[in-house]
Amino acid sequence: MIALIRNEIQKILLKKKMLLILFLLLIFVTLFSYGQNYAYERTIEQFEAETSETAFDWRVPAGQRLDDLERRRSNESIPDEVRASFDREIQQLNYFIDNDINPITPTAFKFNAEFAEQGIVLFIPLLVVILAADLVSGEFSKKTIKILLTRAVPRWKILLSKYLALLMMTTILVFIVAVLSTLVSFLFFRELGASEPVVTGFSVFEGQLVSDSTVLVSRLQYSVFIYSLVWFVSIIIASITLLISVTVDSSSSAIGILMASLIGGQFLQFFLAEWELVQYFFVTNLDLTRYLTGSYQPVEGMSLTFSILTLAVWGGLSLIFSFIIFNRKDVLV
Amino acid sequence: MASSVLKVSNLTKRIKKTQIIHDVSFDIKEGEILGFLGPNGSGKTTTLRMVVGLIRPTSGDIQICGHALKEEYINAMSNVGCIIEGPDLYGYMSGYKNLELLGSMSKDVTKKDIDEAVSLVGMENRIHDKVDVYSMGMKQRIGLAQALIHKPRLLILDEPTNGLDPQGIHEFREIVKKLAEEKGISVLISSHLISEVQLMCDRVSIINKGRIIKNASIEDMLSTGEVIWTLDDPGKGQRILEETFEITSTIDQRGLSANLDISRLPDINKAFFDAGLRISLVDNKKQTLEDLFLSLTHEEKI
Repeated sequence: MIALIRNEIQKILLKKKMLLILFLLLIFVTLFSYGQNYAYERTIEQFEAETSETAFDWRVPAGQRLDDLERRRSNESIPDEVRASFDREIQQLNYFIDNDINPITPTAFKFNAEFAEQGIVLFIPLLVVILAADLVSGEFSKKTIKILLTRAVPRWKILLSKYLALLMMTTILVFIVAVLSTLVSFLFFRELGASEPVVTGFSVFEGQLVSDSTVLVSRLQYSVFIYSLVWFVSIIIASITLLISVTVDSSSSAIGILMASLIGGQFLQFFLAEWELVQYFFVTNLDLTRYLTGSYQPVEGMSLTFSILTLAVWGGLSLIFSFIIFNRKDVLV
Repeated sequence: MASSVLKVSNLTKRIKKTQIIHDVSFDIKEGEILGFLGPNGSGKTTTLRMVVGLIRPTSGDIQICGHALKEEYINAMSNVGCIIEGPDLYGYMSGYKNLELLGSMSKDVTKKDIDEAVSLVGMENRIHDKVDVYSMGMKQRIGLAQALIHKPRLLILDEPTNGLDPQGIHEFREIVKKLAEEKGISVLISSHLISEVQLMCDRVSIINKGRIIKNASIEDMLSTGEVIWTLDDPGKGQRILEETFEITSTIDQRGLSANLDISRLPDINKAFFDAGLRISLVDNKKQTLEDLFLSLTHEEKI
């Protein structure tokens, strides 16, 4: 079994998929951290121009932002939902100022968490799809499945070795995302910020932000937690990708089907949020990290536990069907 | 009696509602080369794929070295090496890497086994190049090496010479023949190239429309039973045939000809010799495999 897994890992590595993914990541992480750094420098410039002081105090732009929000919320023509969201941000900012937590200066750990939060719905799943889509379908389209399945090894063992290799590579991938986004952004920001406090678990109760249930954790703990969620999502996406890869005979159809579901799923969430079934679709449940702010509900009634359970069911069923289909399939290529 | 290395009985395959394979049975003895001959779409490939476990039969039984494929898949398959329709290898790896990878999937394949297989197919010089840059003939050699690294007792080759040049076909044939003779490996080879089968195989099964329509040794299949003698006195020969062997014969410008069981030929020749006849030529008339193949498969086409 170990030899089989080693073979599969070698195949993934020799196809140079990891290099492609690394390259994509590097480009995006660099772009984003450059952009954030640029925006921050503009804020400082603005501060210096306005106050003619050299020591940057984050309270000043935070206060400005607060004034700005207050002004906009008193505008009578804005809709109620927008006003509610302004209220939330105002309360959060006040909380930061009262508790001396700097929300403005970018740090490497702030960046890696944000990158994961943004990437968890589409970007990171796509990287997993790149890694996994041709795992089985590639063997069919290149016809190498014939030399693989005519060995004295039962089919379930071959699929299991492929799945385990994929799990390992996915874990490494998530690890790389974390390390790369931290390192590259550190080069720009020169600020690690691993021990800074983070407030999570704000909840909204009757339109008011309740900070009773907030938890103060360090940035490091927070990032570890966020990346655990990213890892979980990646594993589920890997399992679903395996099922598609087993079902279709060409890698390009596999990638196409998964891209379509990932992107189409996002639309579904916007247009059919009323429809109850949408909450059981896996794409609707991917945005796990947003539950941490406490106020997020993509569809009425959904929660972190609900989403994790739904995703787990999707992953489990995908695996079971993958094995059944792979075991029964006639190889005609 | 040599035991059967492969025994296929009453194999059928139905895909959706079409029956592709009807009740196919055959067997292969140790060291024997069986040719599987049939036109395109006759069910050759489907049958071979069922034998190597790529397609599951609708019904019927396959035994490899005494192990039923269905119940003892591992034991059965560890005796099989195969190339199914062309050598499909991992193009992004070297030939050696391919062999190493596939070797690690069988028990007890050592580096030495791989090296032996490589030198058997004569690929020592280019073995560490990527498969993508190999020519068709080189891929075919690696394909054969891949089928041999775990020392199988049964080699299954489906259209193995497709895409090879005459030189390549010749070399391939020599290697396979050598394997059967020296190592006692049984070979099941499918082809639609008649000459290839004729040159290579001990026995032939002709398959058409999913049924085996003829199954015999090459000798039996080709012999028409007609023998022609060129003698100095054909009339005397005719009398000997009539009186001693009770065989009617005719005399024409080709010589003395008769239909008979080929096994009696040596006795007849001895009788002629003892009677003082001078034999300048004995010809055992044969039809070509091509004629036979066409006549067998043509009838069913209409």
